[in-house]
Amino acid sequence: MPYLGSEEVVKELRRALSNPNVQADRLRYKNYITKVIRYMTQGLDVSALFMDMVKASATVDIVQKKLVYLYMCTYASDKPDLALLAVNTLRKDCADPNPMVRGLALRNMCNFRMPGMTEYIEQPIVAGLRDKASYVRRVAVLGCAKMHSLQPNTEIGRDINELEWCGLLVDLCDVFISCLDSHSDGTHSLQMKDLDSWAQSEVLTFLLRYRPRSDDELFDILSLLDAFLLSSHAHVAVATLRLFLHLASAHPTVQADALLRTSAPLLATCGAASRELRFAGLCHVQQVMRSQPGLFGTHYKRFFCGYSEPSYIKFRKMEILVELVNDENVALVLEELRSYCTDVSPELAQAAIAAIGRIARTYSEKCLDILTGLLGLKQDHITSAVIQTFRDLVWFCPQSTAAVCQTVGACVDSPQDSEGKQALLWLLGEHGDQISSAPYVMEGYIDGLKTELSSAVKMELLTAAVKMFLCRPAETQDMLGRLLHYCIEEESDVCVRDRALLYYRLLQRGVEETRKVVTGPKSDPSMSVLTGRQEEPISDTDVTLSSPDDAEEEISLSLGPPLSHETFEKMWLDLETLHRQTLGFPRPRAAPDTLQAALQLVKIQTLAFTPGDTVPWKAYIYTRSTETLILAELLQGDQQAPGSDESLVVSVKQQPVNQHAIRGFVSVLKSVLQTLNVDTL
Amino acid sequence: MIHSLFLVNASGDIFLEKHWKSVVSRSVCDYFFEALERATEPENVPPVIPTPHHYLINVLRHRIYFVAVIQSEVPPLFVIEFLHRVVDTFQDYFGVCTEAAIKDNVVVVYELLEEMLDNGFPLATESNILKELIKPPTILRTVVNTITGSTNVGEQLPTGQLSVVPWRRTGVKYTNNEAYFDVIEEIDAIIDKSGSTITAEIQGVIDACVKLTGMPDLTLSFMNPRLLDDVSFHPCVRFKRWEAERILSFIPPDGNFRLLSYHVSSQNLVAIPVYVKHNISFREGSSQGRFELTLGPKQTMGKAVESVLVSSQLPRGVLNANLNPSQGTYTFDPVTKLLSWDVGKINPQKLPSLKGSMSLQAGASKPDENPTINIQFKIQQLAISGLKVNRLDMYGEKYKPFKGIKYMTKAGKFQVRT
Repeated sequence: MPYLGSEEVVKELRRALSNPNVQADRLRYKNYITKVIRYMTQGLDVSALFMDMVKASATVDIVQKKLVYLYMCTYASDKPDLALLAVNTLRKDCADPNPMVRGLALRNMCNFRMPGMTEYIEQPIVAGLRDKASYVRRVAVLGCAKMHSLQPNTEIGRDINELEWCGLLVDLCDVFISCLDSHSDGTHSLQMKDLDSWAQSEVLTFLLRYRPRSDDELFDILSLLDAFLLSSHAHVAVATLRLFLHLASAHPTVQADALLRTSAPLLATCGAASRELRFAGLCHVQQVMRSQPGLFGTHYKRFFCGYSEPSYIKFRKMEILVELVNDENVALVLEELRSYCTDVSPELAQAAIAAIGRIARTYSEKCLDILTGLLGLKQDHITSAVIQTFRDLVWFCPQSTAAVCQTVGACVDSPQDSEGKQALLWLLGEHGDQISSAPYVMEGYIDGLKTELSSAVKMELLTAAVKMFLCRPAETQDMLGRLLHYCIEEESDVCVRDRALLYYRLLQRGVEETRKVVTGPKSDPSMSVLTGRQEEPISDTDVTLSSPDDAEEEISLSLGPPLSHETFEKMWLDLETLHRQTLGFPRPRAAPDTLQAALQLVKIQTLAFTPGDTVPWKAYIYTRSTETLILAELLQGDQQAPGSDESLVVSVKQQPVNQHAIRGFVSVLKSVLQTLNVDTL
Repeated sequence: MIHSLFLVNASGDIFLEKHWKSVVSRSVCDYFFEALERATEPENVPPVIPTPHHYLINVLRHRIYFVAVIQSEVPPLFVIEFLHRVVDTFQDYFGVCTEAAIKDNVVVVYELLEEMLDNGFPLATESNILKELIKPPTILRTVVNTITGSTNVGEQLPTGQLSVVPWRRTGVKYTNNEAYFDVIEEIDAIIDKSGSTITAEIQGVIDACVKLTGMPDLTLSFMNPRLLDDVSFHPCVRFKRWEAERILSFIPPDGNFRLLSYHVSSQNLVAIPVYVKHNISFREGSSQGRFELTLGPKQTMGKAVESVLVSSQLPRGVLNANLNPSQGTYTFDPVTKLLSWDVGKINPQKLPSLKGSMSLQAGASKPDENPTINIQFKIQQLAISGLKVNRLDMYGEKYKPFKGIKYMTKAGKFQVRT
């Protein structure tokens, strides 16, 4: 290992380098220098050879020069005083007739990056900027940038000050003069097409800093750059898109158009040969989907996973598929996800099951069938993942509780890992009244408590047992007693013991007291705003949504028992429309589950809505108010009828009639949708 | 911008490092190694790894990780594409891009990296220009260099950087003027159990090798240009002309380059050139499984399907496979459970088949998952999308060039689920 015995190696190399016989033989000398470089790249500290290497820089062999300079750049900051010795050679090289040598010397001199270097490199840089070879001029411009970063307040003559900002455009060197001209004129005759793709990307990034003076100028720039949205290089296309989004921040239609046009190159990147590019492409698609969820809807098949793809790509694709689900493709997507559930890799299988769980929040029946089927496979990791998915599903989507409880009740084998155990216990505790076998399953856990290692499972078991006791006291009392006794007397984990003591004291206060404290709402769909889509800037939404006080004062809405699709349909057809109102703003562009969650937060239940950007867009919602059931339809008008496409129309039906409640409902609805509109713009 | 580059081999050793700005300690790679350890397969290392002070962006090619260290906000696509370009350049220079080749040519590698990037910004990445700056090592030149002590650095400055057309150097001269175009299509498809197509798409490229004197101006037209969905061009192609007339008009770079890449997606019907009949079954309670596989051509317009290679990852419970191929050879690796069958050419009269039994672990339950079959093949003289070049014309020069077009269809990620 080169790290060991480095002193020996260095000593030997020094002996060789200072041997006059070796120095006389150019080939042998160069071989030793190569050896030094090789050790250096392997991480061996060869800085002790600095003096010998400086001597070696005085040569006509350009490769040897390159090697020595590489060495010096690496160690210059460690040995600033010795590095100064090399400066003379470098400065001499800067006047060499060969432009390659001039460029090389200048570049490396700038690469030294040590304080006190500026005074030596200033003059060569200025000379380099006037060099007749473009190669040297380019190096000189880059040198300015390096010097600028070294000592930000240096003034390198008048020439440089003008060029200083140009250091930002460093890689433009080939045409930097023309760029400079075009910028100072204020005209945008940027010859972008003549640059290579890297430079294009740089210029596009640089242009982010530019503020157009007028809308005309803005659109001039955009139309010049339009073709680059379809560049063959994904990074150029994406850089152009970024610039479009940035510059056209005041023109949402332009932004949407740019996103639409870039979707083709982005999709092509998602199918690129290189898996790293595919990954980056998928990440970009995910980003775009946050603002334009409907953009990739028709291309969902592109996001089906190939067998041999690395797992990081499969995870991304599944996340995207979940977002793309709509009425037409749900069957195919679910079938596809179902086939991933039996993947060899447990992580992937679990991710696929979780993905089905996410879809289940909208299409519960189909997904529940699949998940139930998976339980039949009797594979530990699958069972555990399914149970965890059930737990989340019941919490976010209370309608599915009955079906889940039935399945869990029928499920024979229990998960083996602690995550799965916790999920099962939570389900048993929370919905113990609906699972007939619940107390017996739980008894098994209580009996096996001594062998349980995870304290999280024990905590969950305590909570679940107390909850179960509250709904089925007769069957649970004995085992709860044993559980509390064990946890208080024998448990070594202080958290578990404290929890047990807490419940014990609570139970001493009486069953009703305990019930008040322990049992809360069985579901809290508003939480999905926080847990479901963490990436979105939801924090603001959350604050504004939870305080529509003015509306809430007049009327109180409640969710009540869920309404089935059939009942809703029947009632909707039977009832008369009592109230119709144009709201005066378009439908919120938020993702379906954000919308659903936001409405649920103000106790309005969403029954169904048109997926994506389909026109006309409809949503059916319902809520209960004091003694009355309100049904409503939201409709975004037909695109064909001019003018009417910009606003939402709400139609309300009610049973029994209560005009006051309708007014309250409409005002609550309006405030929520408006808040959503503001947040998603 | 790109701060440093580390090259890491499959066993997790850094064998080369290059810094374009200040030296970043190689301990930054520890984060990468952590990710490497966590990944079950070498391919599963995530391409972008955040660390407290840097971002590590890596690509894995030829079993070498190219790890770039980033300190400021950079588009990851930019870095990934650049890293791939670096690998392509190495491959171009050394023929192969292996750890051994890089170590042998460490000097050239450093020279290349130095020219390709300065201060973190890409400079010369076109292989035309690089080859003028640094001559690629050949055996002859290595011998000559050793004897004469001369070097492989160009004495002349690359002229290409001064030319009006940045991708083409001035004063190109050839005795034989020739222009070859290869239309290569890769078909990616997933076929389900019953033989119906789940997804199918075609990734196509037109690679060109143009050796023409002077500044020729070429136009290339297609019989059916509307076929192409997402097209992206080499910067030399005049985009306006394509939009208006669907004709490729360009001044070509000198030598090899990729003229355009395109995509024919599921909107158009994609022809699937082979079909697979399979019967892979395991019986409950028995330690035997049946394996039958037959391949056949379809929709190939009479062209032969060649170099067919079938591979499949059998379930973990399979101990061994005892199969009988009607042609070609098969291997089964009992450790990785990878079955591969080198079929060769498909004869439509006598379809190749692979039949036999698999022995399962005694007492183990019937495997749940069914194996996926990956198929590789090649079809010469056919572009499966139906794309055809109509004609190629040259303007701007007097001589008559020799022109050639070749078509080829390959399987990309072609999978059949069972």
